[in-house]
Amino acid sequence: MIELPERTRRISPSRLHEILVRHNCASLVDPFMGLPTHLNYLKRHGIACHGGDLLEWFVRVGEGIVVNDLTILRDSEVAEIVEMLPGRIYSLDMFKAWEGVFFSEEQCVYLGVWHDNVRNLRSDGQTGLAILGLWRAFCYWLQKTQNADDMQDVPPSELAWSYIRQTEQWVIANMRRNTVRQTDVLTTVAAQKADALFLCPPARNSFRSADARIWMWEAWWQGNPYFTIEHAYRDSLFGARAADPPSYARAFASVLEHAEAYPVLVVQTTEQRLGDVESLVRNARRKVEILAPHSYEMYLVATN
Amino acid sequence: MLPSAAICEGFGTVMNNRLGQMTLFQDTGGDPRGAASQFADVLTAYGAIGDAACGNPPGLARRKASTAVSLARVAECEPHECDAMYFAGLLHAVGAVGNPAYRKDERLSERLARMESWDTPSMGAQICEHIPALPAQTADIVRWQAECWDGTGYPDQLRWHGIPRPAMLLALADTVVRAADPEEALTAVAMQSGRAFSPDMTRTFTMWFHVSGGEAETAEPPLEALRDVSAASTLALMDAIADRIDKHNGDEGRWRRVERLATASAALLNVDATENERLALAVRLYGAGEIAKSQQSEASFDPLARLGIDDRAAHAVLAAKLVEENPTLGRAAAVLRARSEWYDGTGKPDGLFHRAIPAAAGLLAAAIAYDALGHKDRIDTAAGTQFDPQTVRAVLEAARTRA
Repeated sequence: MIELPERTRRISPSRLHEILVRHNCASLVDPFMGLPTHLNYLKRHGIACHGGDLLEWFVRVGEGIVVNDLTILRDSEVAEIVEMLPGRIYSLDMFKAWEGVFFSEEQCVYLGVWHDNVRNLRSDGQTGLAILGLWRAFCYWLQKTQNADDMQDVPPSELAWSYIRQTEQWVIANMRRNTVRQTDVLTTVAAQKADALFLCPPARNSFRSADARIWMWEAWWQGNPYFTIEHAYRDSLFGARAADPPSYARAFASVLEHAEAYPVLVVQTTEQRLGDVESLVRNARRKVEILAPHSYEMYLVATN
Repeated sequence: MLPSAAICEGFGTVMNNRLGQMTLFQDTGGDPRGAASQFADVLTAYGAIGDAACGNPPGLARRKASTAVSLARVAECEPHECDAMYFAGLLHAVGAVGNPAYRKDERLSERLARMESWDTPSMGAQICEHIPALPAQTADIVRWQAECWDGTGYPDQLRWHGIPRPAMLLALADTVVRAADPEEALTAVAMQSGRAFSPDMTRTFTMWFHVSGGEAETAEPPLEALRDVSAASTLALMDAIADRIDKHNGDEGRWRRVERLATASAALLNVDATENERLALAVRLYGAGEIAKSQQSEASFDPLARLGIDDRAAHAVLAAKLVEENPTLGRAAAVLRARSEWYDGTGKPDGLFHRAIPAAAGLLAAAIAYDALGHKDRIDTAAGTQFDPQTVRAVLEAARTRA
């Protein structure tokens, strides 16, 4: 049975927004954005958001809910995503490798159909929205493998339909330019000027315990069930080169060094890692304020 | 015309009355539990006002608080979590007071209004963070009460174990109190397993359902969980609620203007201490009657015309209903209800006549009308019909002296 981790990192955008408002920040860069629902929240509250990540599907979702100001999916367009279309040739075996392991035969067929349909969508915004909606359906299935008796059987197309519809509700314009890019952290930090830089770096060696719901969806997007995300991290700043504590600290310090131009720096960490992170941030900035609503959700707000 | 000596004397009394309001919540014989009880009553009223602002049925907040505590016990939450859940349940909708989605002066599209309403929990959390007496976790439970297990909730779109258990239990309690009957709640929760609620939580709910029959007994506020409560903090909370109501109704600072005028007028009329206290409470609460979006704003009709009498009476009745069962604030209910009565007996809702209208209600009504009038002295034309002539004279004198 697949393992779904107990603790996932929590970014509370409403709390982050309160911090940004307190420091009069109207724009933010997040080079470790992950699933950018928090950037969508900030965008909705008027903050110009710029995110970066190494995984393509995160970036695609960012195009749907962060960059996209207007594009939504009409009923007819959702229908073209969730079901097999007559006249189109589908690679129905694309995800057969997952059959019997994670998913049923029917679910694997749908994963193939959805993959092909999403690839045929007309705009980046629509593609991003569809990827996020379908990912939620995919997570529902994975969860159901663990709790078969506790969760409803919902027909795949109905499940996908409801999630895509729900995702589409989050599209909004903030009259600002918002961007996402697929690149390593330093490139994102250097590429954009903003009032604040938000850092929520992965823990050391965390890619080795990456959540299946994350890497499997990248594999889905790439159309290759054997795809792993290790290559994406291998040569990245926080990848294999930062496997030991001193290297990790050096990698983090180099990000802080590149972030000098940002007036406000917000670093999210946990009580467990606070000791390491705090000293590095204090080396880089004169004023550091610590906000600690929980032991697993702490913010270091650093200014000059 | 009142003699000038009376005015000077009156203003001395005004100051005493202003200070006297500090005693509004002090009659507890030095019992700290009494102070906490009064504070909890004010919180209960705040919860009811929040429900009214977003169109929830009356009493929903208390039922939600009780259900949340009952669920928390089955889920074996720590006692401090149960306490926080009670207050989070009570204050679940206070973020709606002042939220643009529910405010009268906002004209938003359906889509934008929905998005604004997503901020109700985080606005509620900010309010809770500014009430230091509340248990520490309360604000976060309020903040994340509408998050869904699958990440489709709001405001933060948290997912899976990122959502604290008490917040998810409060979401379950919400499903229970909104369902027509317990069976419907059971079906709704089962349908949402793996979506709004984690499968674990669904199992907890099922266990609770079988233990309790799907209904929770009314829980009493955990007074011992309230920290450093005093009469001053209770009064400060009342003032904050009144400020927020005015902001919601699109007329910031209104209650403070009305309060100054009503209190000064009461002093000129030598209104007794009990009536002064009722006036002090009513002046802070009357705006709650027009808080629902469906209610017409009082600023939209002439305060002296009969045309708006039905709306004004509806506001008066609603404000009174919000507090009539509240042990601490209930004494203001009669004043709130009677403030739309007319002196000549042709008012509403009860058609009270002359002295049957509480003095505080007459003062409140005249002060509200005076505040709303463009040409202030026009209130004189309503003496003897809408208002007691003596009250009108006092209001005009008080206003003139203040000017």
